[in-house]
Amino acid sequence: MHELYLAESILNIIQDYAKRDGFKKVNSVMLSYGRFSCMEPKALQFAFEVQAAGTAAEGAVLEFKIMPAVIHCFSCEKDLEIKTHTGICPGCGGGEVMLTAGTEELQILEMDVD
Amino acid sequence: MKVTVVKNVLDANDRIAAENRELFDRHKIYVINLMSSPGAGKTSLVERTIVALRDNYRIAVIEGDIQDTYDADRIAKLDIPVVQINTGGGCHIDGNMIREALPAFDLSKIDFLIVENVGNLVCPAEFKIGENVKIMLLSTPEGADKPSKYPLMFQESSALLINKIDLMPYVDFDLEKAKRDSLALHKDLKIFEVSCKTAAGLDEWIAWLTRRIDAFKK
Repeated sequence: MHELYLAESILNIIQDYAKRDGFKKVNSVMLSYGRFSCMEPKALQFAFEVQAAGTAAEGAVLEFKIMPAVIHCFSCEKDLEIKTHTGICPGCGGGEVMLTAGTEELQILEMDVD
Repeated sequence: MKVTVVKNVLDANDRIAAENRELFDRHKIYVINLMSSPGAGKTSLVERTIVALRDNYRIAVIEGDIQDTYDADRIAKLDIPVVQINTGGGCHIDGNMIREALPAFDLSKIDFLIVENVGNLVCPAEFKIGENVKIMLLSTPEGADKPSKYPLMFQESSALLINKIDLMPYVDFDLEKAKRDSLALHKDLKIFEVSCKTAAGLDEWIAWLTRRIDAFKK
């Protein structure tokens, strides 16, 4: 349910920029987040659509750049991308690993506007 | 036309949290943000912590729940200033809710503020409130797969209390896996094995917390 709050925050940022740059319509918004940052893009798009109604962002599509989750393994000394975190190196099976990327918080990167 | 933004979506919340932090610093208030799933034992830990530290520090509590004042009533029985935030469906406490709760306290009479977040392993980890540290609880009946399933909270927390350790003989909880996977997310995570029911392991937690509070107040 945090998507509602996030959608509201995205809209507030868009409104700040609309005031500054004077654009009337937002076509798309490019966002990024780490794979493990507990984001649900479909829920966010839905929450965004509901709240964007009647604003410059009505009908805008949210696009997502999902940053990979990476672990460093202290056994094989490799950095490997992972889909789920099990605490085990998918390369060598070593148990001493550390998550080095993947929990980056939600950011707005750019908007396409008219 | 493309407009470059590059801005954290939670920027507005971060700013309010920073303002809360300034206020806490001015009054020398050490703040912990306590997070876990529902039923992991947050309120029991708050009660235990209050009893252990109340002679040394002036303590206050903010209780966050979707509705009801059950938790705040438990704390009020200990004769500690407490404010209940009802998020009315919201899944977490954010910076603004804390800001709005603070006028209910006399901040000049608080050394240590405990914020008990809404029971949820996802959203609370994302929202800063102006705390010194985030602390999380994981109880043994929940299972050792939680660090893998909810990595953000484990990564954001400074300490993890594995609670209900007294239930280990009855639940299939792989303690070593839980510890290993948690440390793989956050190598400096301080882990305590405790039972808020029997008080096992709580002395270490209280000692760690005391060191933190004293270092901050110096």
